[in-house]
Amino acid sequence: MANGTTGSPEILENLKLELRRGCLIVAVLAQLRTEQYGYTLRKALADDGLAIDEGTLYPLLRRLETQGLLVSQWREEDKRNKRFYRLSPVGEQILNHLLNEWQSINTSLNRMLQEV
Amino acid sequence: MEILDGYLSAVKRCLPRKQRTDIVAELREDLLSELEARAEELGRPLTDAEQYAILMQHGDPMVVARRYSPNRRSLSLGWELIGPELFPAYLFVLGLNLAITVAVIPMSLMIYHVPISVQPFILPVAAQIVCVTAVFILLNLVRVKFPQQWIYPPAELASVIPLQKWYSVSGLIACSVLTLWWLAIPYFQFLVVGPSAGELKLAPVWHRYYVPVFLLLLAGIGQRAVSVVRPDWTWLLPTSRFVISGVGAVVMFFFRTHPLVVVDTSAKDLAHAEKLARSANAWMGWGLFGPWLWIYLAIGALFYAWYSLPHLRRLLHARQHRLRSVHELNGVL
Repeated sequence: MANGTTGSPEILENLKLELRRGCLIVAVLAQLRTEQYGYTLRKALADDGLAIDEGTLYPLLRRLETQGLLVSQWREEDKRNKRFYRLSPVGEQILNHLLNEWQSINTSLNRMLQEV
Repeated sequence: MEILDGYLSAVKRCLPRKQRTDIVAELREDLLSELEARAEELGRPLTDAEQYAILMQHGDPMVVARRYSPNRRSLSLGWELIGPELFPAYLFVLGLNLAITVAVIPMSLMIYHVPISVQPFILPVAAQIVCVTAVFILLNLVRVKFPQQWIYPPAELASVIPLQKWYSVSGLIACSVLTLWWLAIPYFQFLVVGPSAGELKLAPVWHRYYVPVFLLLLAGIGQRAVSVVRPDWTWLLPTSRFVISGVGAVVMFFFRTHPLVVVDTSAKDLAHAEKLARSANAWMGWGLFGPWLWIYLAIGALFYAWYSLPHLRRLLHARQHRLRSVHELNGVL
């Protein structure tokens, strides 16, 4: 019983993190259908209710770029050098597959929840 | 932008070498945008404390940097003792300490014409491994329990961060206990010589070094007590500890070059007492007051010298600014 009461918030947090991790990748890819730099991307995600700190976002962007899903370019804007990211053609295909998967999972889950 | 640059240089130190410049440029741009957006919201430039608060939200530089690292090694024994964020720092500190220890011991042995053997290395090396590992396990625990606290703020940031009260209070308690132990030694010699107190007594060298060590301990208590009352005097900790550790390293270096205990002439079995004195001196010379102590203090002095630098820079900057103002005023008059 003691384990149950002290352990559940931690377990819940870990499960939420796991759930969020996958969703964040889809959200980042979806946002980058239009070109953005890190700060505006972070703001856009936060405004849509998916706040992400820069310590998580930038390593993720780098990973997605290494995987060929994103392309980036340093460019000057407002007299400052900024790195702009956008979805690559491969990234677009992957995003479509992921969105289909997402829809399918969502439909299945909704069906299960309605049955309950 | 001194604070931002300090933060970024701390992140940079922990980043993979090849990607450093690129990652820091991007982080800088992101943080600058955020600082500017906040300043725009407030309609005025941000204070040091406000800049610090924003950077604090972004997290410990060490933790931020480790997220870019492909290397996620950690120290685990069934459960995580030292996490991947701290593990590279643990290896670095342990390696540095061991390298200094292994370099310094043969030099000390040569200076005192003691033949070099494996034995003098065993205790200091084991002590370094145990102590550094214990400190990092503790830091890891603190990091897990209080993820918002920065374990190791960079020097430029530490110069504007008010000291945490719990840190000063716990240091004050530890330092007071140590000072009480030191004060009690002349009256209760078993605190140093253990059960051999009837046969051994403290050597004359204690008369020479007792008061300087006591004064250093008092200075340590004083610094911590003042820091409890004035946590905003951020210059006090690094500057005072630089002096305390530096002087302490010199005192301890010379202290341990003498025999620390001698035979008490009232001992019943003098031959046995002689033997005891030899083994007690070896134990203390390489254990309790071994080279690890002055090496630790010397490293501490260097560490605090580094942390004092931003305060020195600020002091010189303020003096130059004052002098310039006086010259300008003289010019006007």
